[in-house]
Amino acid sequence: MVTRALKLAAISAIATMSLFAGQYNQQAEKDRQALIKYFVAKFSDPVKNAARFFPYTPTEELKKNYRPVKDWHEFAKGVYSFAKGPRQQYLELIEMPPYEDDVDDGEELYNSTKGLKECFPKPAEAAVEYPKYDTKKHEVVTLTMAINDCVVKHGGKPWNPYKGKIAKVEAYFAAQARDAGKVINVKIPNAEAEKAYEHGKKYYFSQRGYIDISCANCHVQGAGKRVRRDYLSPLVGQVTHFPVYRLSWEELGTLERRLKGCIKNQGQQPPKPFSEDMRDLIYFLSYMSNGMKVDGPDVRK
Amino acid sequence: MKLSASKLIVGSCVALAMALGAQAAQDQNLVKLGEKIFNTKKLGNCLACHDVNGKKIDNPGSLGPKLTGLKYWDDKMLYDTIYDIYKARGIKYSAMPPFGANGWLSEQQIKALVAYLKTVQ
Ligand code: HEC
Ligand code: HEC
Repeated sequence: MVTRALKLAAISAIATMSLFAGQYNQQAEKDRQALIKYFVAKFSDPVKNAARFFPYTPTEELKKNYRPVKDWHEFAKGVYSFAKGPRQQYLELIEMPPYEDDVDDGEELYNSTKGLKECFPKPAEAAVEYPKYDTKKHEVVTLTMAINDCVVKHGGKPWNPYKGKIAKVEAYFAAQARDAGKVINVKIPNAEAEKAYEHGKKYYFSQRGYIDISCANCHVQGAGKRVRRDYLSPLVGQVTHFPVYRLSWEELGTLERRLKGCIKNQGQQPPKPFSEDMRDLIYFLSYMSNGMKVDGPDVRK
Repeated sequence: MKLSASKLIVGSCVALAMALGAQAAQDQNLVKLGEKIFNTKKLGNCLACHDVNGKKIDNPGSLGPKLTGLKYWDDKMLYDTIYDIYKARGIKYSAMPPFGANGWLSEQQIKALVAYLKTVQ
């Protein structure tokens, strides 16, 4: 018990120390590497490493239901990287991807909506340009926010940040980026940006809501385990594939929408989609997927 | 004298047996209530994380340990573990929510859970 608590304490110590100034992404880079190491150790051989990582999961289940993952890039597929049954269902599902019409709609919206072409001259770039720390505005700008600001600036009404038009335009951007082989590369340009990153990280690791658990309880220590029948995806790779078509939504939704759901499940009021909490959280999450290919849009349960 | 004494004994035995019967029925209800709290999403939702040895749980999660041998625990230890696992174990990190301390479950509900968990082999 004590060693377990210590290990967890060590993980969050990594998560709260900031040792180096100057190169502003140094801490973020350390965090990312530490997480990759942790997840590869955890998933490369679940049966062998059960005592350390899956103390409560029956060996039978580890043998039967888990697929070893040695290459961390595979975590872009979330749960489907390691959970055999769900992976099989997923592979069958994407033979006829339910988001194809959305990508077409997104392209049409991109061409017909005033301002979008000026704001985002290269759709494939747009998908990897955000979230970015805007050094003039002194804040993190997410893709959803950038699209919305652009539409409003050109005289349009704000779009719903969770679904519909924004999600479709984002699906078009993501599909373009995927075709072009774009890789996620979030930057931390200055000390203010580093603060925003740390703020997002703090949000992620703090226990909150009436059930007093953190995102990390489920997506770091809990990754690979189940909440009832639902396996939990690892933090690394969680944002590579948005917007996502969720079977439970029966439609496409943005990252903001997905996060809203998890935060609600934690028993708290989710932050507004363009609030500092939400944007900094997305900044942190996205940095943790640096080095992975854009893989959106995609399907999730 | 003798007769009335034995009558008295018989009488109090009957009363005691009746009291015990009522007690048992009450315990049984408490166990049932605890089981319901354990398995209901809007109540304890304990099955989200725990399987339970010897019970039929519908798709239990694996974030927490399979609960076994809890009948050997004393009531207070069980109560404290559910009320606030951080305090009960002196730990800072846990996926297990402090159901009493955060006001999610009432004292009565936790007592019902304890009654149910005391039936776990
Ligand atoms: C009680 C457990 C729990 C907590 C706490 C939780 N989540 Fe989740 N989360 C889930 C489950 C279950 C899913 C669906 C399965 C999956 O993909 O992991 C999910 C899915 C996600 C996904 C989508 C992954 C994908 O591949 O599409 C993201 C992103 C995410 N969570 C982020 C968060 C963040 C950020 C927090 C904290 C603010 C959080 N979660 C807290 C249980 C949780
Ligand atoms: C979100 C996950 C989660 C939920 C929900 C949850 N638990 Fe737990 N529980 C845990 C974890 C994890 C542990 C192990 C202690 C630790 O590692 O922090 C635990 C430990 C326990 C223990 C001690 C078991 C032992 O053998 O040491 C008991 C008893 C228990 N839980 C009962 C309950 C009850 C009753 C409920 C519902 C009212 C519940 N739990 C809900 C995650 C959870």
